[in-house]
Amino acid sequence: MAIDARQIGEERQRKEIRDRWLLSAPALFLIVAASVGPLAIVVLYSFLAPGNYGDVKWAFSTEGWFNVFLSRDIFDGTVSLADAHFSIIWRSVKLAFITTLLCLIFGFPTAYFIATRTPHTRSLWLFLVTIPFWTNMLIRAFAIQEAIRSEGIVNTVLMTLGLISTPIQMLFTDFAVLLGMTYVFLPLMVLPLYASLEKLDFRLVEAGYDLYASRFGVLTRIVVPMVRPGIVAGSILVFVPALSSYVIPRVLGGGKALMIGNLIELQFGQGRNWPLGAALSVALVVVVLFVLLFYVRNTGKSGGGAHG
Amino acid sequence: MKNGERMTISRATAAHGGTIGLHGIKKRFGSFQAVDDVTLDIRSNEFFTLLGPSGCGKTTLLRMIAGFELPTEGRVLLDGADISGLLPNQRPVNTVFQNYALFPHLSVAENIGFGLKMLGRPKSEVGAVVADMLKLVHLEGRGDHPVTQLSGGQQQRVALARALAPRPKVLLLDEPLSALDLKLRKSMQIELKRLQAETGITFVFVTHDQEEALTMSDRIAVMSEGQVRQVGTAREIYDRPADRFVADFIGETNFLTGTVERTEGRRATLRLATGATITAGLPDTATPSGAVTLVIRPEHADLVTAGAGTMDGTLGDIVYFGTDTHYHVHLDDGTDFIVRRQNSRAGSEGDAPETGHRIGVRFSDNAAQILKD
Amino acid sequence: MARPFSIKRQPGFATIAMLCFFLLYLPIATLVVYAFNAGVSIAVWEGFSFRWFESAWNNAQVIEASWRSLKIAASAAVIATTCATLAALATTRTAPYRGLTFKYSIINMPLLVPEIVTAVALLILFSRIKVWTGYSGLGYLILAHSAFCVPFAYLPIRARLESMDLSLERAAADLYASPFQTFRHVTLPLLWPGILAGLMLAFVISLDDVVITEFVKSGGQDTLPTYMLGQLRRVVTPEMNAISTVFLVLSLAIVTLFFFLSRNPQKQKT
Repeated sequence: MAIDARQIGEERQRKEIRDRWLLSAPALFLIVAASVGPLAIVVLYSFLAPGNYGDVKWAFSTEGWFNVFLSRDIFDGTVSLADAHFSIIWRSVKLAFITTLLCLIFGFPTAYFIATRTPHTRSLWLFLVTIPFWTNMLIRAFAIQEAIRSEGIVNTVLMTLGLISTPIQMLFTDFAVLLGMTYVFLPLMVLPLYASLEKLDFRLVEAGYDLYASRFGVLTRIVVPMVRPGIVAGSILVFVPALSSYVIPRVLGGGKALMIGNLIELQFGQGRNWPLGAALSVALVVVVLFVLLFYVRNTGKSGGGAHG
Repeated sequence: MKNGERMTISRATAAHGGTIGLHGIKKRFGSFQAVDDVTLDIRSNEFFTLLGPSGCGKTTLLRMIAGFELPTEGRVLLDGADISGLLPNQRPVNTVFQNYALFPHLSVAENIGFGLKMLGRPKSEVGAVVADMLKLVHLEGRGDHPVTQLSGGQQQRVALARALAPRPKVLLLDEPLSALDLKLRKSMQIELKRLQAETGITFVFVTHDQEEALTMSDRIAVMSEGQVRQVGTAREIYDRPADRFVADFIGETNFLTGTVERTEGRRATLRLATGATITAGLPDTATPSGAVTLVIRPEHADLVTAGAGTMDGTLGDIVYFGTDTHYHVHLDDGTDFIVRRQNSRAGSEGDAPETGHRIGVRFSDNAAQILKD
Repeated sequence: MARPFSIKRQPGFATIAMLCFFLLYLPIATLVVYAFNAGVSIAVWEGFSFRWFESAWNNAQVIEASWRSLKIAASAAVIATTCATLAALATTRTAPYRGLTFKYSIINMPLLVPEIVTAVALLILFSRIKVWTGYSGLGYLILAHSAFCVPFAYLPIRARLESMDLSLERAAADLYASPFQTFRHVTLPLLWPGILAGLMLAFVISLDDVVITEFVKSGGQDTLPTYMLGQLRRVVTPEMNAISTVFLVLSLAIVTLFFFLSRNPQKQKT
């Protein structure tokens, strides 16, 4: 009897692929069942009518989506733009964008500083950036809350220095949210920037100086273009969670500086308009996916690869 | 003590077969034909080398003997039994990997004993064999060391001991010396020869280093583009290369063209392009006629005064190599020819040839070999 | 040592970096300091005391929430890491095959979807299931936490696997080890630091979660973070600082361990 090695080989390959599916099945099932799959229900709910006490009525309705952008006057039924929603959505985008910018302004020099240390001390500095990243976000938001409240350390220091005579109201303002998000998301900017900067070939910088570039010229014409993938990655990593932030505006913005996340929560709590909440959620996911798509295409073009 | 250990090993070899038969082996990766119809017989207790440039299919062939790849077509026989479809752990064949692939989380002794442990041998037997093996590769007392703290040469020895410990019928070695520096490589070559002789196990050795192949092997298969070009002893392959590839790949060679006038047994008389008539050996497997290529090794030729040799030309570059000197001669028909002369202190400085001078080249009738292509 | 022209220096960068590090740690440091305040204020220092730690320790709600947090985090970390390990074995060191990209995207999906949206989705799903089955135990929280911890556990395990030379497994097979023996004696011991790192990462991520827990939990199922979130609406005493400090120390210990585990993957003694 002749042994057909080719057939055995093909069989073995089929078995290997089957095994690989079996091995990944628990993880895939877990995520589909309890993370990704339920999103389909959210899409479904966004097209149903709101129930009287939360939840939904099983009837098709575009009211949820309608309410995202427009509001109907309860008394005369006239339709107008939903100003309250627009102002919250606009604030979310604005705050997320400014947060990204602030993280970049502070994060770039920090990442550059770490990347130019000796390899041994580098990992220590990196560790110092990572620690806050892994400590509870709520605790960090709480720490900021304590620092900027009327009797907090910031006001105390400013008053002691005589710069102000009465405490500034910082808590529950856009500024507080901005400060909190910048504080919390800064490591997300520093880490990919560092990954890019660490790989930067400093002989190119040397060449720049050799060709009469100033320090600033070297920075803007050599360093920044070379680490662009890191800048894009860091910006996305900050912008996306900042846009969908929930804990920070809740702790630092109080009821005054709401963001999309809080607006969504309201629909499932006090607002009792689940379809509207679902529609807002779907809209948020779509925006986030667009930003990520932009990122994938952007890094695809520039060759990418310079981020961890 | 040396004798005792030699006894243990050689007693084990009495039962050894260890012949490998490769029958019509083909291997395709996608559209790439890595091995193209190879048929080879490797004898018991032989140091057999697969020699060729990188990408010639020699490692793929080895991996098919080990069981890491399955042939697309053809059969692998071990002592006459078809093992083509067996998993690597079902074949009584062990491999010394190019990067050694030592288990970093295990000690030297645990590495060496791994195979026997997997075979379910009792602890006492594993311990005894490991001790034997440590002696065999001169690593006595190093059993408890972590393998990560060994030098390259020591890691090499552990890899050898690990592959030999289960007493395989065939030992496969995939360029095991390529990571070592020159001096260590030389001593490991001798070491490998010794181990092969002492254990009596068939060694199948893969290398791209022709010198390594020539010095160590009982027989060599020269491979190129997935095919075996020639199989033979080192001397056969060096002195009587079958084709242009083998002649070119092994050592340095002068190529000349000529026309066969008549053949007589395994020798032919032919007229060279330069006009001279010489006799040369015919290849083993073919009897070419008409226009042929022949090869002459540089050390098989010598320089003489112009007109006194087989061919004349002008002396070009003279390159000094320490042990010998290469003389580049531009022959009158336009071809280049290299003559190698051994250097000696007693060498007469008086008749030293000079660049630009007319010169003759002489070689004996035995020196020339006709290629089959 | 004289420092001539350094090509790497950029003016002001070191200052900004130092400022960043200072600002990163200042609020946390203040928070920790006031945990030891003798007075009731979280802003006016009235002397050193452990009273708020004692107060937290005697607060039944805090202790209960902490236990619940630890239970959920431990269960979720074990489940997530087991799934992630199997998934990493299935998705690394292979020629691309059909479905591989699909697996990658599913596994990483929880990182991309905004947490608030996942929370809402789970709220809708689980509130239905709670009504149907009548079960409203910790299972929902453990399931939800396990799911979003998978990608975090997967990261270090996959990284570790990809740095592992496949020739070691080949060598084991060559030395008569069956596929299972190869896994047991070679793959698993070498992968272990990666698995531990994944386990710790998953544990910390689960421990820190607020948003999903807040939406999924049933009544009386506060974890420490959701308890704290509830408390932050009221007048805050240094007891919150004390709780936060303990929490910080725990996270810090785990992260430090993780850091050292993932930093020296090759240097392990036998």
